[in-house]
Parts: sequence; structure tokens; C-alpha cells
Amino acid sequence: MALMALPSCAASAETADPGSGTQMFSLSGFGTLGVVHSSEDFADFTSSVFKPSGAGYGGSWSTVVDSLIGAQLTANITPKLSAVVQVIAEQNYDNTYTPHVEWANVKYLFTPDFSVRIGRIVLPTFFVSDSRDVGYSNPWVRPPPEVYQLLPISNSDGVDISYRLHIGSLTDTLQGNYGQNNAALPRGSAEGKHLWGFSNTAEYGPFTAHLAYQELHLTIASFDPLFNAFRLFGPQGIAIADEYDLDNKPLVTEALGASYDPGHYFVMGEWARANAHSIFAVGTAWYVSGGYRLGKFTPYLTYAEVKSNRNSDPGLTVAGLPPNLAGFAAGLNASLNAILETNPDQNTISVGSRWDFMRNVDLKLQVDHSREGPGSSGELTNLQPGFRPGGEDNLFTATLDFVF
Amino acid sequence: MPAIHRIGLVSVGLTLGLGISAVSADVVAVVSSKSPITTLSKNQVMDIFLGKRTSFPDGSPAVPIDQTEGSTVRDEFYNRTAGMSPAQVKAFWSKIIFTGRGQPPRTAATSLEAKKLLVANPNAISYIDQSLVDSSVRVVLAP
Repeated sequence: MALMALPSCAASAETADPGSGTQMFSLSGFGTLGVVHSSEDFADFTSSVFKPSGAGYGGSWSTVVDSLIGAQLTANITPKLSAVVQVIAEQNYDNTYTPHVEWANVKYLFTPDFSVRIGRIVLPTFFVSDSRDVGYSNPWVRPPPEVYQLLPISNSDGVDISYRLHIGSLTDTLQGNYGQNNAALPRGSAEGKHLWGFSNTAEYGPFTAHLAYQELHLTIASFDPLFNAFRLFGPQGIAIADEYDLDNKPLVTEALGASYDPGHYFVMGEWARANAHSIFAVGTAWYVSGGYRLGKFTPYLTYAEVKSNRNSDPGLTVAGLPPNLAGFAAGLNASLNAILETNPDQNTISVGSRWDFMRNVDLKLQVDHSREGPGSSGELTNLQPGFRPGGEDNLFTATLDFVF
Repeated sequence: MPAIHRIGLVSVGLTLGLGISAVSADVVAVVSSKSPITTLSKNQVMDIFLGKRTSFPDGSPAVPIDQTEGSTVRDEFYNRTAGMSPAQVKAFWSKIIFTGRGQPPRTAATSLEAKKLLVANPNAISYIDQSLVDSSVRVVLAP
């Protein structure tokens, strides 16, 4: 790969300015080696909807959930103009490990506090959503999925503007973005258009507060056959199809978060709400987490919860239909409810610890106990015959995170 | 006999105390003596070193100069100024770098090199052991 040939020129490309001393090219990387055990036999736990399999049904121990490796090349073309490419290799939607471009953009600094980026840009929806892949920068093995899977996409192809204000000791960063996101899913693909939003991050000593709004118009064509069938049943079927079909439907996400980190401990929490105006429904989620730093160990405790907007629908009125149509309608209702069941509704208690046992490497162990809401499969996927919604499951995760 | 034991304890205590003060360097934040900056708070210094601010309170540009990772003076500086361990500082910069929000400050290989860079650039700010302070630099924070 071309990226691999570049570190040798990094050292030689230093600028002459004795003050800044910024290198023309810098290459850095990060990665996680993870193993996850799930107590569930009839469904998979995955770290993202973009992954086809995980721990549970796919194997009671899985290395694909959290493992990844990323490399980033930054080019400082002039003091005001820079370009960056980040490539990540992890389990893809089609179970390959071909590296994908997580982001690639050109950044121009009008002033040190006012910048614009054009290209593929990270979306700062949640507190750590921009660095969720960098395990070393996070206190947990992964950000709480209850909140972070409300809006699973992490980047946008478009433009992003950032403005930083200094008010006394307060640093406030305002950010706005516009673009689109097209993603391949294990079954089908998602087209996100008119993706726009803004965020505000205020930092005051050990305090940080974050709020964000993101909106996009989502189309997933693979649901069309189901809803086209509903439309055959007249006004009631058309109403159901219009309500749930994923055809250019607005997906709105609002998020609020705060953290306090004076050094020897941290507490943080986030609250978020998403409305998909479609079969994905989505809902309201929050978590609180705290940890205490004891030398090289940082034990932590997290409670997270997500309440789904919808897990079932009465569907078409079957009574009164001719027998042959009644069976078809009941089948459609069952299909609709099988999808609604996968809308996450669960709570999780997590206990874990980070161990900074050597420079630039940490080891984390985490245990999660999740209880799914009635009629929901929680954050699980790949549901198999024999799976019962509304149950409980335990996860054990060990990760080795590194940066280089 | 008990008194002799106590004398022993006192001398052990003194030795330990001296040992600790010799290991933990007295780090100070410094600028060039040609810089107009006279004093800064812990938060102001940390905002500059963590890339949150690119200028001094008077509006002049600020160029932070770090010391090498793993050096005692660096670990002591971040511990005393921000309460951050070396791993916390690394985790902080990992987040900034891999979200494309910035790059860590330039690193000086030694305190002597840091002082040279300060003399060459009146906008620069660094930190050194207090014992190395001379007329070429001005202490702006003794955390």
C-alpha cells in the first residue's frame, strides 16, 4: 500500500520555521484487538449495524466485534491548508476485511479558530462519536450502544465549518455540517441525503458540555417489497406503508452530554433522542458513567438505557378478509412485527477496568449485563429460531488498545 | 532504647523525604525573556499545551514546545498543571489527532533544546526544571 511507503519521508520533510516545526507529513495509527463472549445462543451481539455477525449465535467467543486497525496520514501543505486520510480495516458488512476510507478531507484555517473542511468528515453527533473507533482514547471497551447506535453512521461526504470562541476561561466550539452518507448494510444499502446538523462543545477547565442535532433523509430500498405488498390492501395498507416505509424519511437525532474530569476520576453522561419516522422508529437513550484512576488502573461503572418508540403494530385488520387474503395479510403483519421487534429497548449495567500497563497500550476488561424490554431483541441482531425477545444476556469483553 | 529507635525513624524519614524531592523535578513553565508575558494560570498554560488556545491572553500567538514522551520533566509538568498521567495525555492527543482536530506540539529533545527554541522564538512557551532557569528565560508559572 502507498501509505506504508510514507513514514520514511515524514522525518525528512520538516519545515524551516523554527517556531512551529510542523512536519509536512505525519503518519499515525491506532488499533484494538478484542475478544467478546456472549451468553446468548440464538442471536449475535455486534458493535454496529454495519457488521454481519458477532458474539453469540456466530460463536460464543468472537474476535470480530471490536477488533480493528486504523492508519491516518496528515499532510500539512501550508500553515493554513492541510489534508488528512484515515483508513480502517475491520469486519465489513460483507464479512471481508478490506480497508475502507473512514474519512478523507482538506481543511483550511481562515484563522486559528475558524476552519472549513471539505470531503469525507467525521460526524460529531455524540460526545465521543468522532473517536469511537480509537479505543485507546476512550475509558470503556466501546461507547454504550444504547446511545451510540441511535445514529450509527459516523461520517458525511460534504462540508463542515468550525468556529471556536474564547470567553474568559471558557472555550466554545460551534460546528455545522452538510453532506450525504451512503452505506452498505449486511442486507441492502442505506442512502442518506441532505445530511445536516450542528454541534456545540463548551470546555471550562475539567468541565465539558456537548449538544448536537443531526438530520438526514434516509432511503433503504430493501424494505420496498414488504411495503408494496401492504399497499395492495387499500387505504389501511397504504397508511401502514406510508408510515413505515424507508423512502426519503427524515431521521432526526438530538443529543446532550456533559463530563467532569479533574484528573484522578471522571463522571460523564449523555442523553439522546432519535426519531426515524419509519420502521426503524428509534427512541430515547441515556447513560451515566464514572471511573476512578488508581495509578495505572481505571475501574469504571456504567448504566445505560434505551427506550424504543415502537416494538409492535396491530397491522392490517385480518378479520373480514377472504381466507386466502387473510393468510397473506397475517404473514405481512408478522413480517412487520418481526422488524419492529429488533428496535432496541434495553438497559445495561457495565463494570470494567482499564489498565495502562505499558506506554501507548492499554488492556480493558468489561462485563455487561443487559435486560431487554418486553417484545424487544435489544441491541442483538441475527435473531435465530429459538430466540425469545425480552430476555437477559451477559457479555464479557477483553480489549487491547494501542496507538502508534 | 526507645529514643534511639525514634532517632532512627527520623533519619529514615529525612532520607525518604530527600529522595522524593530529588526524583520529582520542580518543573516551571517558561517563555523567552524577550516575551512580554509575565504570568499565566494553570488553565491558561494547559489550554495552550492541549491545543485549545493558539494565543496568549494578550492576543499574541502562542507556540507550545513539549518535552519528549517519557521524560520526568514532561510527566511532572502534566501531572502538576492538569492532574494528567502520561497515559491520559496520550489518550487526549489520540482523540484530537484521530478526529482531525489538530496535532500535538513540537517536541524538544532536551531542556537545553527547549531553551534554545524559546530564545529563537519569543512566541514560544515551554517547561523546564527550575534549576535550569537563567536570564534567557522567564518563569510564567510554577505549578
